[in-house]
Amino acid sequence: MLTLMSLLLFLLVLTNLTLLGSSRLAFCIRTVALQGVVLGLIPLVGLQPLSLQHGLLSLTAIVLKGGVFPWLLLRSLQVARVKREVEPFIGFNVSLSIGFFALISSVVFASKLPFGDNKDSLIIALALFTMITGLLLLISRRKALSMVLGYLVLENGIYGLGAVVADHIPMVVEFGVLLDVWVAVFGMGIAIYQINREFDHTDVDRLTELRG
Amino acid sequence: MSGVLIIFLLIPLMGIAALFFVQWDRVMFMLSLGAVLLDALCLLVGISGLPTCLPMQTAGGWLYIDHLSAWHLLVMLLVFMAGSLFAPVYFRDDLDSGRLSLTAARRYNQLWLGSLWTMTLTLLANNIGLMWVGMEATTLVTAFLVSIYPKPAAIEAMWKYLIICSVGIAFAFIGILLVAASLPATGEGSQQLFWTQLSIAGGYNLLLLKAAFIFSLVGFGTKAGLAPMHTWLPDAHSQAPGPVSAMFSGFMLNAALYCIMRHGAIVNHALGSDQFTSHLYIIFGLVSIVVSASFIISQHDIKRLLAYHSVEHLGIITLGLGLGPVGCFAALLHTLNHSLCKSLSFFAAGRLGQLYGSYTMGRIRGALHGAPLWGIALACSLLALIGVAPFSIFISEYLLVKAAIDRQAMVALVVFLLGSGVVFVAALEHLIPMAWGAGEDLPGKHCSLPAVAVVVGLLGLLLFFGLYLPAPIQVFLTRAAALTGGLP
Repeated sequence: MLTLMSLLLFLLVLTNLTLLGSSRLAFCIRTVALQGVVLGLIPLVGLQPLSLQHGLLSLTAIVLKGGVFPWLLLRSLQVARVKREVEPFIGFNVSLSIGFFALISSVVFASKLPFGDNKDSLIIALALFTMITGLLLLISRRKALSMVLGYLVLENGIYGLGAVVADHIPMVVEFGVLLDVWVAVFGMGIAIYQINREFDHTDVDRLTELRG
Repeated sequence: MSGVLIIFLLIPLMGIAALFFVQWDRVMFMLSLGAVLLDALCLLVGISGLPTCLPMQTAGGWLYIDHLSAWHLLVMLLVFMAGSLFAPVYFRDDLDSGRLSLTAARRYNQLWLGSLWTMTLTLLANNIGLMWVGMEATTLVTAFLVSIYPKPAAIEAMWKYLIICSVGIAFAFIGILLVAASLPATGEGSQQLFWTQLSIAGGYNLLLLKAAFIFSLVGFGTKAGLAPMHTWLPDAHSQAPGPVSAMFSGFMLNAALYCIMRHGAIVNHALGSDQFTSHLYIIFGLVSIVVSASFIISQHDIKRLLAYHSVEHLGIITLGLGLGPVGCFAALLHTLNHSLCKSLSFFAAGRLGQLYGSYTMGRIRGALHGAPLWGIALACSLLALIGVAPFSIFISEYLLVKAAIDRQAMVALVVFLLGSGVVFVAALEHLIPMAWGAGEDLPGKHCSLPAVAVVVGLLGLLLFFGLYLPAPIQVFLTRAAALTGGLP
């Protein structure tokens, strides 16, 4: 049990660092999908008395994040005809360095948080790290698709945090949140399609018609 | 009686379903108007036994209405009624010329009713998580209303809106998780995260609860357009079609602020004082007023000007929330006044922009002469917006000043008055040439019965509430303000 959990947490760290350091978008989409599956599995492994509802929720999350989202995103990648994140605002090496620093800070910070004794502070730390990774992707990348990935990674981190600190969020709400994220990814996919059609590129830093 | 809450949620859904079968664009607009009117009728009939039947809940406690949400529901329905009445006026030329296709008209009306549904869910949800789900859904539904005309600028605005607000609202969800985490582990009954239980529960971890409020303020504040998280707002408001801008400014921002009010009430209850929240409210309110004032001076686009006015007025409402019971009363009254006024001004700006072929203020000249109905609407609503008596915004801002003096919040008072002064002068400078300048006559007929009804109705309400606030409404608002403060 413990070793499976450590494997999942190790994968979580690895996916975040991979995302910070790689430029190929198709690979990034698959990495985010893997991260979604890993986070869907953590409650299954970690929560001792596993209820049917929790199982169902994790299953839905895994199917959505591991299957549906990457499928949607890979399709918009094809439409937009981009392959790589070229020249991000913050370079890959710098991003990685910030990532390592954020990882260490999250671990230190999480151990000081007042979440009670029985909560696993390592999972909280990695959820925080995932959230920071998502935000970093959101602010440092140029392509519209990278921003969707950043949003998804942020959402993954929040999902992980929620699984540990707030296990009594009702199921209806959990499913509602998943539904919202699904519609958001779907909507952002359509938006990328429209941006590409009207502007012939998907570089968000070149969307500068509206100012002031 | 409590079944009415479910009916509220059912009516827009049935409207959306019915729209699939309608093949004529005029009927589509009539159908959405009908659905909104039916909703309003339900509000009047279902809650006419006021104030005896409030608060009430249904569906196992998941849906809940009290004075605070009923007040917002009322404001929302007024905005949606005006918007539904105005939409056929606004889109008529484009429907005639085929610029707005039948499919687009259907999509518009379905998204319009969809936004009504999501905002109703936000207001009626008793569970804080469900409220979040409703709020995030408003972003997703309304984003596509911005780009109903797929122009490049509209798509750019839609993208920024979608990303910034989704990320902002994600922060608000962290706040909700922290509220859940701050509850005592053994707390019976508070497990469902219902407002009704959170506002009487005890034994919170106060540090986590305070952190939760900050996340919620920043997260929902992004959606409410509070500076410095307002950057999506001028783009989305200026690119959306007229009725949609009015709905954004008139109610969607308020819905987000409503979520913050609910949150603040819990924190005040748990801390036993409103000191913590009121400081944050005042800071965010003042920053919004100052930032928007500086952008209003240098605006060239009339819809962007109005968008920055929204930032200013949401700042004023937030400031009011930080100024004790009188301030909360003023803030809630200001919510209604601002929504009525902003709907009217966005309608007028939208129509004038269409008539003059440009939203650049330099191109709109002598509107009072050129297109009298919309010229009057623009002039009166802008005057009302900057707080000219006898319009009702003057009253709520006056109450706010009184609240600030009562609380001895002198710094806040001075900054508020200075900011409003700057806005006053700057807006007048923009308005005078637009309304009274020398401009050409516009050919064609600009008045129709629904157009006149919208303008007269909204102006009448603004004047009415400016001159007289009926006693039942005062009692109602006092109860709602007490819920906002969260203190007995």
